Amino acid sequence: MAVRAQFENSNEVGVFARLTNSYAIVAVGASENFYSVFESELQDVIPICHATIAGTRIVGRLTVGNKNGLLVPTTTTDQELQHLRNTLPDAVKIQRIEERLSALGNVICCNDHVAIVHPDLERETEEIIADVLGVEVFRQTVADNVLTGSYMALSNQGGIVHPKTSIRDQDELSSLLQVPLVAGSVNRGSPVVGAGMVVNDWLAVTGLDTTATELSVIESVFRLGEMAPGGAGAAGPNKESIVESFY
Amino acid sequence: MADPRVEELLKRPLYVYDLPQELLSTLTTKTGTQDIAEQTPEPTPKDPELAAQESAIASSTLCSLCNVTYRNVEEQRGHVRSDHHRYNIKTQLRGNAPLDEAQFVKAVGELDESISGSESSESDDDEAEGGTDTTLTALLKRQAKLSGSPEEATTTVQGGTAKQPLFWLSSSGLPSNKSLGVYRAIFSNIEQDEPGHLVDTLRKKQLAPIKARTNKAQAQQSPPDSSPHIFMCMIGGGHFAAMLVSLAPEIHRKQGGVEERQARVIAHKTFHRYTTRRKQGGSQSASDASRGAAHSAGSSLRRYNEAALEKDIRELLADWKEMIDSSELLFIRATGKTNKRILFEKYDNHVLKQNDPRLRGFPFNTRRATQGELMRCFKELTRVKVSEIDEAALAAAAAAAEAKKKEESKPSTPRRQPQKPKLSKEEEEALLHTSQIQALIRRSKVPALMSYLSNNSIPSSFTFTPADSTQNFRSPTPLHLAANLDAPAVVAALLTRAGADPTIANTEGRTPFELAGDRPTRDAFRISRHELGESKWDWAVAKVPSAVSKTDADSRAERERKAAEEEETSRRKFDLERLKKEDAEREAHQRASKGGRALGAVEKTAAEKRDEETRGMTPEMRMRLERERRARAAEERFRRMQNN
Repeated sequence: MAVRAQFENSNEVGVFARLTNSYAIVAVGASENFYSVFESELQDVIPICHATIAGTRIVGRLTVGNKNGLLVPTTTTDQELQHLRNTLPDAVKIQRIEERLSALGNVICCNDHVAIVHPDLERETEEIIADVLGVEVFRQTVADNVLTGSYMALSNQGGIVHPKTSIRDQDELSSLLQVPLVAGSVNRGSPVVGAGMVVNDWLAVTGLDTTATELSVIESVFRLGEMAPGGAGAAGPNKESIVESFY
Repeated sequence: MADPRVEELLKRPLYVYDLPQELLSTLTTKTGTQDIAEQTPEPTPKDPELAAQESAIASSTLCSLCNVTYRNVEEQRGHVRSDHHRYNIKTQLRGNAPLDEAQFVKAVGELDESISGSESSESDDDEAEGGTDTTLTALLKRQAKLSGSPEEATTTVQGGTAKQPLFWLSSSGLPSNKSLGVYRAIFSNIEQDEPGHLVDTLRKKQLAPIKARTNKAQAQQSPPDSSPHIFMCMIGGGHFAAMLVSLAPEIHRKQGGVEERQARVIAHKTFHRYTTRRKQGGSQSASDASRGAAHSAGSSLRRYNEAALEKDIRELLADWKEMIDSSELLFIRATGKTNKRILFEKYDNHVLKQNDPRLRGFPFNTRRATQGELMRCFKELTRVKVSEIDEAALAAAAAAAEAKKKEESKPSTPRRQPQKPKLSKEEEEALLHTSQIQALIRRSKVPALMSYLSNNSIPSSFTFTPADSTQNFRSPTPLHLAANLDAPAVVAALLTRAGADPTIANTEGRTPFELAGDRPTRDAFRISRHELGESKWDWAVAKVPSAVSKTDADSRAERERKAAEEEETSRRKFDLERLKKEDAEREAHQRASKGGRALGAVEKTAAEKRDEETRGMTPEMRMRLERERRARAAEERFRRMQNN
């Protein structure tokens, strides 16, 4: 299921939200429209958390997480951390990272098994990522760009990378990550696919400007269509809620 | 004399517990050489082998950046993690051309030569992860042309006979200017006390290296064996790292038959908890202790984390108790009360004891408590330091320093002399008397002052020295000082008993009397005039007014006191009346304003008031109150009778 949404007239959904297979974090906005989109798709499936990080609303860019854990930058206040702890499931580990590159969402891109990170990330951070998120960590670039988290959207089913990524790089990355990859754009041609959308194994939320073609590419590579494992056509753990959302 | 074979040995890092036989047999203890700088041996890289693994067989996939092929995902992932790949990614981002494998290996080799002798680089043959990281950093730094020429080993000349952290040894197989250093801390306390048997001890400590097991055997945790091992741990800022490491080195056979020695870590563990306060620093418990417990979300998190860290550490120590008890040495870094308490406090089944003779600190600076840092410390502790220093040059330097010291000490005495001309004995004495007398007068110690004057037979005409100081300018004699300080008792004593002259004027032309600031002091002068008689001094010159006898003065003082008292009582009476009037007015006003509602506030009779006061009291207390009331009444009656 791929849906379009807007956060206060901004199409950069990935900036204001973080979506994983076990929880979603949504920025506190002036209106609840953005939150409602997530709520309509995810209610009763995974918890949705209204949060700020370091007092800002760019939660998607500052945090990184998967079903196992959540990493937040060192600027996160104690209150915010406690709020997250109270809202997210107990199984999710939350860790604050002391890292110079504090916009973790920009420098880290991960699914539940692997993470592609900025080459300049500290070794200690790399270890924390491996421990907390339970992933294998690789220092790589996406289309010669160090901001892997910005230029790549990844789920366990597939991934979408910067539209100018060469076929060879795509193949290498795809082989490294062991998921199908495609070069594509969101929000009517924006190359920042990581910041322009959020995705998990059964839901993708993109900006309102996303074209039908872009959406169809997204649905196919993340296998969000009817016959996808998490989709309405197959028997998945989330089938009922998704079916419900159709009617 | 120098044996080239032995010298060759020094090119590799030497491990204290596995020294080559040739070297060991020729070792002797150096005496009286505290000042030997150490030289870090060159690190040997391990990356070539690592990188070589990946180039074995051509396959379908290829890393376009590094031009490296691999067969399957595992190999690809291994390659992506390798130094070569990471180096190439960074170079590419910098806009430099990436290196292929052969070039990379060569670059690392060159790096190895160029960074030799640099203090900051560490040898990395013991640990894969931390080591490669430093090599990579070094290589990148070199690429950026940041690394300077290799540093010279600096000679630090230290004096004194303080305990040096290193024992220095020399070998007949080595040139005389080369010394080998071994940390004092790795010897037991008894061994440290006998530096003469150092070499023997070192020989006894040698351990045969163990062959590495196959991967399978390694995978299952090796059971704790009885080989000598040490325990190391660091704690600080919420970080904790501990390691049990075997002293017997392990030999790993690398590709191409290269044997490599590695430290065998029996067990290791690190913890990190968020305990330090953001921006403020310090631990939460310290802050609580000094400022009282804060009730913020952060403080409770930190408090919880501190407790959790303590629990984790103690559980770990309990788990390792057997191994820790059998350890040869315990290297522990725990600064601060909180950290020490976590390790050494007497809790149930505590493992570490503060008075353990095996306990050691790290004899060098350590960084944040991590596994890598522990490994570095272990390497640092067990590596034999090599120092190259010219004994003759050293002796010359020492001689030069000695000469310099002498030169410094010589002019220092004559320089002081012109500043302070030699004081005559009399002057010194006068200075001493001045300070003593002034102190006594300041504290109004009349008997002490009198006895001091008589004991030292100080003449009545004594003046303070030096006369030109600001204080002595105003009050040059003891009498002046006493008058100035308003000390009537001292003034009287000086005039009547010490025979001080009241006519002497200070530099401003004022007599002591004129300096007196209050009535009693002035009276002291007049009483003295009365007692001494008119003929003793020229009182007019002393400007002391007419004499009064002591009784007169006293009676006058008494009169004045009474007058003042009377005035005070009358004033009080007047005030009381005024207050009473005001109260009455206010009450009348209130009554008028409140009207009928003031009914409740009806004036109570005295009996009622007393009743109210004693309500709820025990009979004893009531009796005591009654007694007090009667006593007060009796006193009041007496006072009235006296007044009348």
